[in-house]
Amino acid sequence: MLYVPVGVVFVNAVVDDGGATLAFVREVLTDPFYFGALADVFAEPLSVRHHLASVAGWLAAVSVSVSLEYPLPGVPLPVPVPGLETPGIRTGLFGFTAYQAALSTVASVALGLPAAYILANYEFRGRQTLRSLTILPFVLPGIMVAVGFYAMFGRTGTLNGLLGVGGVGPYPFIEWNPLAVVIVAHAFYNAPLVARVTVAAWESVDARTVETARSLGASPRRAFRDVIVPQLLPAILTGALLTFIFTFMTFPIVLALGGLQLATVEVWIYDRVRRLAYAEAATLTVLETLLSLALTYAYLRYESAQSGLARGAGEPDREPLFPDLRTALSPRRVAILGYGLVAVVVFVGPLASLVAGSVTDGSGLTGRHYAFLLERQLEGADYQTLPWVAIRNSLVFGVATLAVAVPMGVVVSVVTVRAGRGGAIVDTLAMLPLAVSGVVFGIGLLRGLVFGIPLPGGWRFQVTGAVAIVFAHAVAAYPFVTRNVSPLLSNLDPAMVESARALGATRYRALRDVELPLVASGIVAGAAFAFAISIGEFSSTVILAGGGQSYTMPVAVERYLGRRSGPAIAMGTVLLAVTAASFVVVDRVGGRFER
Amino acid sequence: MRRRTFVGAVGGSAIAGVAGCLTRDGDGSEDDDGTGDPEPENPDLEGEVQVATYDSMVNGENPAGPWLKDAFEEAYPDAELTWTVPENGINDYIDRSQQNAEIDADVYLGANLDDLVRVDDNLEDGGLLRELNVDRIDNAERIRDGLDMGDPHGRVLAYDTGYVSPVYDEELVDEPETLDDLTEPAYEDALLAQNAQGSDTGQAFLLWTIDAYGEDGYLDYWRELEANGVRILEDWQESYNGAYMNGERSMVISYSTDQVFANEYDYEMSRHQVAFPDGQAYANPEGMGIFEGASELDLAYEFLDFALSNDAQAVIAQRNVQFPAVDEEYVDLDEEFDQYAHTPTEAVTIGYDRLRGNLDGWVDDWAREFAGR
Amino acid sequence: MTELRLEGVSKAYGDTVALEGVDLTVRDGEFFTLVGPSGCGKTTTLRTVAGFEEPTDGAVRFDSREMTGVPPEQRDVGVVFQSYALFPHMSVAENVGYGLQFREPPDGVTVDERVANLLELVDLEGMGERSPEQLSGGQRQRVALARALAPAPDLLLLDEPMSALDAQLRESLRRQVKRIQSTLEITTVYVTHDQAEALAISDRLAVMNDGGVEQVGRPQEVYREPATRFVAEFVGDNNVFEGEVCGGDGEYSRVDVDGETFTLPTVPEGTDRVTVCVRPGALSRSAERNRLTVRVETSEFLGETVRVNGRWNGTDIVLQRPTVPERDELTVGFAPEDAHVVARQ
Repeated sequence: MLYVPVGVVFVNAVVDDGGATLAFVREVLTDPFYFGALADVFAEPLSVRHHLASVAGWLAAVSVSVSLEYPLPGVPLPVPVPGLETPGIRTGLFGFTAYQAALSTVASVALGLPAAYILANYEFRGRQTLRSLTILPFVLPGIMVAVGFYAMFGRTGTLNGLLGVGGVGPYPFIEWNPLAVVIVAHAFYNAPLVARVTVAAWESVDARTVETARSLGASPRRAFRDVIVPQLLPAILTGALLTFIFTFMTFPIVLALGGLQLATVEVWIYDRVRRLAYAEAATLTVLETLLSLALTYAYLRYESAQSGLARGAGEPDREPLFPDLRTALSPRRVAILGYGLVAVVVFVGPLASLVAGSVTDGSGLTGRHYAFLLERQLEGADYQTLPWVAIRNSLVFGVATLAVAVPMGVVVSVVTVRAGRGGAIVDTLAMLPLAVSGVVFGIGLLRGLVFGIPLPGGWRFQVTGAVAIVFAHAVAAYPFVTRNVSPLLSNLDPAMVESARALGATRYRALRDVELPLVASGIVAGAAFAFAISIGEFSSTVILAGGGQSYTMPVAVERYLGRRSGPAIAMGTVLLAVTAASFVVVDRVGGRFER
Repeated sequence: MRRRTFVGAVGGSAIAGVAGCLTRDGDGSEDDDGTGDPEPENPDLEGEVQVATYDSMVNGENPAGPWLKDAFEEAYPDAELTWTVPENGINDYIDRSQQNAEIDADVYLGANLDDLVRVDDNLEDGGLLRELNVDRIDNAERIRDGLDMGDPHGRVLAYDTGYVSPVYDEELVDEPETLDDLTEPAYEDALLAQNAQGSDTGQAFLLWTIDAYGEDGYLDYWRELEANGVRILEDWQESYNGAYMNGERSMVISYSTDQVFANEYDYEMSRHQVAFPDGQAYANPEGMGIFEGASELDLAYEFLDFALSNDAQAVIAQRNVQFPAVDEEYVDLDEEFDQYAHTPTEAVTIGYDRLRGNLDGWVDDWAREFAGR
Repeated sequence: MTELRLEGVSKAYGDTVALEGVDLTVRDGEFFTLVGPSGCGKTTTLRTVAGFEEPTDGAVRFDSREMTGVPPEQRDVGVVFQSYALFPHMSVAENVGYGLQFREPPDGVTVDERVANLLELVDLEGMGERSPEQLSGGQRQRVALARALAPAPDLLLLDEPMSALDAQLRESLRRQVKRIQSTLEITTVYVTHDQAEALAISDRLAVMNDGGVEQVGRPQEVYREPATRFVAEFVGDNNVFEGEVCGGDGEYSRVDVDGETFTLPTVPEGTDRVTVCVRPGALSRSAERNRLTVRVETSEFLGETVRVNGRWNGTDIVLQRPTVPERDELTVGFAPEDAHVVARQ
């Protein structure tokens, strides 16, 4: 289901007129447009002296300076900024793509960790619900995020509206630094991912290990650094890795908010596909995929080196967030409040602005967007896109995806977790669905499965419709189950399984009775992602749904986009509401398994 | 009868929208070279005609598609019209044709000139759609002068047209008199355009500048635009509904029918002023054609004729918010449409011959100016 | 009940050889211990018996049944690990009862009765509803033992079960394990690195080193008559000398050790090089023969006796004395009958 469509496209990268060739790859590698300064190296890998001379020349031109800048417009507060003057180095499309992905990863981790800290360590009303809702940004179609960001941060957006009440602004936030906005939007998508993965790990940290460290003389801060951080690190790095891969292959967000100047490799792939230049698209994708997989492999080697840490049994106690006024004013609580404010602006802002957009119009409050949905549902023809069908399909596919992806992901975990170096390679390949461009996967599905693969004798193998969609979703989703389960599984005492086996349990029974219950928190976390992936998946769904009745909510959102965005935003709000409700249920049900 | 036989199904085809299947290409080919299409004595007006089109024709608010279907089926009681929306537009059919996969659709509604160029670049010249026998389409005579799509293979007829032009906020900037004005300080950080790699309006505006400054000059013009702070976003949606409607900038490349919506939705008209620099706008006529392997050929011809009829033209114009393809006397439009839909003094288009073999290179060179720096 | 036989069992992981040609027979109802330093192969042997590892060569038999390829769940063994490996998500009773889902409780009792009986056997009556996390280390190990015994396995395998416990607890638990084992008469293989524990608990034991078996025997045999220098040094305190036979008179042999001549029990004809083992308790001031003057280095007060470490002619010497010696040098001797002589190749 995965390898066939991807293979169908990848073949284009190395086959020309029926013969194998590396010409496409060479062409891309040596094009400074794609690889900047490195293209020179790829072109003549052996002229080391020449390349060293270039590096030396570059270093010689570096200068350091200090300048005064006024970071806040309208506020005469000069801030000395140490400037590192470097002569321009051409990074090329790949270089820029990696650069923005790295920045986005840092931003996502920086925004996600405090959330994980608060969710794992403090008790407050609605904590569980909030934890469930952290998934929301993840399922939003890119266009909705873009619209939400403009509605929040635009010159006439919500934030400026609020600032206007205080008599400041309006500020052109997006115009100031489009790259920064793109990065914040990436963090909007991915920080919740980092937070979720980390919270799951944090909740499985054994409180006794902290107590041990404290009793050995470590201050709370030291105990945190020496005991908790190492136990969280694999989870944080998982989150960072996924974020990097996602933002490396980012597509709708950069161009929607940043513009062509911030184009990434994926933008080019999309363009090549539109122009039916599959060879170049496939070549770019192969390179993109190789980079992602190399990174994944490096990470997995690290992760397997981390195994053997005992998994804690005692969950840390949570303190009340705001027990009384006095505590509420402590520096830590104030910091939490500060973070909360940032979180409200970054996460709640765009979502709320989106919801507001669904009930407003140029002339004020209106219900006509929802009336449109209702009317379409009641009077729409069957070749039109009906809201309820989209909702029903999304939920059905989501549940079916769970049913396929969770066992798949767990099996991959079990197979790879104790297989050493070979396991890391298999594990890396199992991550392929994340590392392959969505555009290319979609085109592969179309050319491979929808059109059909010719077989001898005039036969054609074709797959479309609901079952194909569920499989496509499951393939996209199972790596999340694997990544959430593997670290926990590798920390389990192997003697547990062996005890069960010696007591008469088959390998399968031991898995079911012992391992699965003990890694339930990982499975639930992975399942939540799998569900979210299914709900939010767009590129392959839209292709496999074709003109049939298998469209989902994000597809409906896209189809309702017209001259104005109101109806689509209303559908997007429905998507948000349905997803939110589902996740409260998923986490509640899942939470029962975790006990 | 569909020209294929289902011989096996995996997973039980009783469930809606199911599973995988093995199909075998039918061997009875009805493809009679596609040339000529003589007027038949007794046209076969019974059956299901499948029309491929784009999304906004059937979905979105108040689309023209449902009306066309109902009216067509009323006019041809034995016919059934089904809409199909290929995800990647004409590319899906080019791909299908290259892979020898089945094409079920009979009619393609919404082929632009660059679509035809892409067809000819990737398939054989004049491929995919058949050369029309215009004599069979009585209403074809009504098409306005200047709306000939210019396909040397005569595969398409225009059914509507639109003009791509800047839309601006008159309280923030004046109407630009010329394209050159857009590089002036008065328009610094004012313009929102779209990525010509993916967006119709983006590509139209790019072609307009190529028409105005020539193949050798258009990149210089764009460099000046960039120096003046042009922002190029992915698509019309993001740039219009996202950026422009939230006040990011004071000008956006859009359509000359912009005020029709502004009026309908009570938007502030001052922010929906249409500019025609040099009195021009880029014309984007939309065409319709019949697939080479169409199984309902007679109904397909009737549909093309029907789409150019009086009522259909009015509905397409108003619901699709484009200008009708036929002369004024053959269509009755609301007064409001006339009032708010603006036409330029001079419509710019780059013809088939210039586009052929050049379009990809122009767009690629242009995009490389901006990306990956 | 069951007799366990290992026949030429070898196990290699790539180029690393973990076991080489191990032959062992554990008799029906016997408490058999595998003892040796870490990395000697004792745990691998146990895991091969349990079926967690398949031997690369050789065979494991339960009575006459060849067990190669039989998965662990079909071998009918009970295993107790050092780490307890209790299932933290199950109560004590659920842990003990886990194996009874797969094997009928013996004697026609119900599962609940069997669980209660076993908890009683390990002195944990009434603890069934608790979570393993609420138990002490010793209690957890007893739950693990009860769990392993619940399905009445043919073999009980214990892998360093006491190592995580403190010394006193270890001794009392060891006695309890021994008592339960002899009550049930279950064939038991016990793995430990602690030779004192091995001597105390076993019917018979095998000393392992470097993937092979050095000696098998009853504790007294192994202690008194170590078969190799390795066994002599590993099991109990010992003074070990290397020497060459330089004569004999039929009753005694004379052996040259570092220029000193010892009078020792007769060695078989044709033996020239020997290893001589003398237990610390056999070295006394009053012994007349085989006198050596030991330079005292340290003394350890052990309660009943004092252990004195010293050196003689470059060899480490351990003495057992009633009091801490006052002088730097002590002259001691040993009777030929108290020395154990092993021929060397």
